[in-house]
Amino acid sequence: MPASRSTRIVLFVYGLLIIALLYLPLVSVGFASVSRARYLSFPIRKYSTKWYTSALESSTVTDLFWTSLTVAAIVTVVSVVIAFFGALAFARYNWRYRTTFQKLILLPIFFPQTVLGLALLMWFNSLGIIPTWKTAVVAHLVWIAPIATLIVAIRAYSFDPALEEAARDMGANTGTILRLITLPLLLPGLVSAGLFAFLLSWGNFPLSLFTTGADSTLPEWLYAKMVSGYSPLVPTLGIMSVAGSFVIIMVALAVAWLMRANRESKAVQN
Amino acid sequence: MTDTAFLRLRGVVKKFHSFTALHGIDLDIREGEFFTIVGPSGSGKSTMIRLLVGMDDVTEGQIHLRDERIDQMPANLRPTCMVFQSLALFPHMSVGQNIEFPLKLRKEPPAQRRERVNELLDLLHLPRSYYDKRISQCSGGERQRIALARALAFDPEILFFDEPLSALDYRLRKTLEKELKDLHHRTGKTFVYITHSLEEAMVMSDRIAIMKDGRIEQIATADEIYRRPVSRFVAEFMGEVNLFNVRCGHDGAVSGPGLSTRGDLTAEGLPAGSEALLMVRPEYVQFAAPSEQYDYILQGRVREEYILGSRIQYEIEGPQDKRITVEKLRQNRLDDAVGKQVRLGFNAEKTHLIGNG
Repeated sequence: MPASRSTRIVLFVYGLLIIALLYLPLVSVGFASVSRARYLSFPIRKYSTKWYTSALESSTVTDLFWTSLTVAAIVTVVSVVIAFFGALAFARYNWRYRTTFQKLILLPIFFPQTVLGLALLMWFNSLGIIPTWKTAVVAHLVWIAPIATLIVAIRAYSFDPALEEAARDMGANTGTILRLITLPLLLPGLVSAGLFAFLLSWGNFPLSLFTTGADSTLPEWLYAKMVSGYSPLVPTLGIMSVAGSFVIIMVALAVAWLMRANRESKAVQN
Repeated sequence: MTDTAFLRLRGVVKKFHSFTALHGIDLDIREGEFFTIVGPSGSGKSTMIRLLVGMDDVTEGQIHLRDERIDQMPANLRPTCMVFQSLALFPHMSVGQNIEFPLKLRKEPPAQRRERVNELLDLLHLPRSYYDKRISQCSGGERQRIALARALAFDPEILFFDEPLSALDYRLRKTLEKELKDLHHRTGKTFVYITHSLEEAMVMSDRIAIMKDGRIEQIATADEIYRRPVSRFVAEFMGEVNLFNVRCGHDGAVSGPGLSTRGDLTAEGLPAGSEALLMVRPEYVQFAAPSEQYDYILQGRVREEYILGSRIQYEIEGPQDKRITVEKLRQNRLDDAVGKQVRLGFNAEKTHLIGNG
């Protein structure tokens, strides 16, 4: 049933309001980053990109950026590997302790991150490990790997186990089945799990706060600067961080789009 | 077709924990035959096919293909191939890539693979342009043919089918049944087919095995099973049937309640005094005029008339509330049938006696 004119108008306005609610705060951060003044006040008297220039020139910012990126990249790779095998255990194979495994692996997601962070810090301490960005990687993994596993498991649930059996029946061994059937079929799930892992690690604050020790990630630094010594570098870096996430999502979408376009053009040619 | 056993099962038992799915199956399948295993769900037929292709291990017993024992051989080394119920076509590959999958595993050169795929597309009446089509763009019937082509590309000694037609609509199923039988003739391969549909089995098979509770009840041609079932289960499984409890008298005569019999009838092969089931198929029961003579006669009243299409089915209330089914071709339809008193007759040559009824 097509919606009436008035319904459509109401829906449009409603949608607009929701979007505004979600994005206005971000816009204000954006304004703060391009204001020349030290503290944000409307109307902005003078626009300037000087905070961006100084952010790009600052060696602190470069360090922060690299620390965050290294942590997020390692978390992404390890999460995807764990998620791949974890999802197979979660969704594809029947084994004795499967239901227990399914419940336990999801538990860290429901832990408040601050509690999890504190627990991990205490654990590292008792083991005599000095917290650095490396311990933060472990901490992020405790929380992110289960989420990635869940994402891949959803994909694994949706594919017919007979596909692997059929490949075996036609002469494929376990390695070949993994390479030609299981991996390609789980690939979309692995890509989205990887994206989620990266973004969740990149923007994570509570776990990093407890477990990075002397090192600092971008979100931690933003918080520290907010608490003491605010400068427009804070919104500037905030916006740069959001832009970074945005670029990653766009690249992922573009790759997916290119792959589909390539496949379709191949089908059309023949 | 040769008469020597090609695929041989001896005492095959399959247990899942405490549950026994197959109780010592002995079975011989001949080279080049179209052999169908029929049974209701839970009869063990799917378990059996999984053992035959190597998806599951036998608990006891042996399976031989030609002179080679294969029950311990992993599925990927067996020279057999199966068309799955879900077809198991790889969604991330094109039609052509699906069909050439087994050839690719054998590392055949691309040109040779392409040629073989084209041959198979021709064989299954699919356009060669389908090579690059996505599986998701193909219809249900086309997918069946692609799955078949892929299995044939493997060039198996035996081709197994696990109810591949069950998800299709009636018309398409009928078409594909005939195509499959035709394909069997043209390729000369041994086909082993599993289904719960008796109709499907009867149309296609050279021989049929009927399974119940993990055992084989009867193995014979479709015609033989239809005419001479060995048990009540098989008789009822093979379509509509009328069964009467009868006793074989000491003089050899067959008698049953409400059944008038001609005096000189004798029960062949059954001991005197034993109980038996007298079976007659609905199409052999006649509406008899008062003067007409039949070996068996009984009286009844027509309760219901069902139009089946080319045939009409009558449900008749016989003596002692016994329900009798009669089928007539449309041109022999009984006028104003419902409620009518009728005299039913059938001859002994159209009946079959099942012992220990």
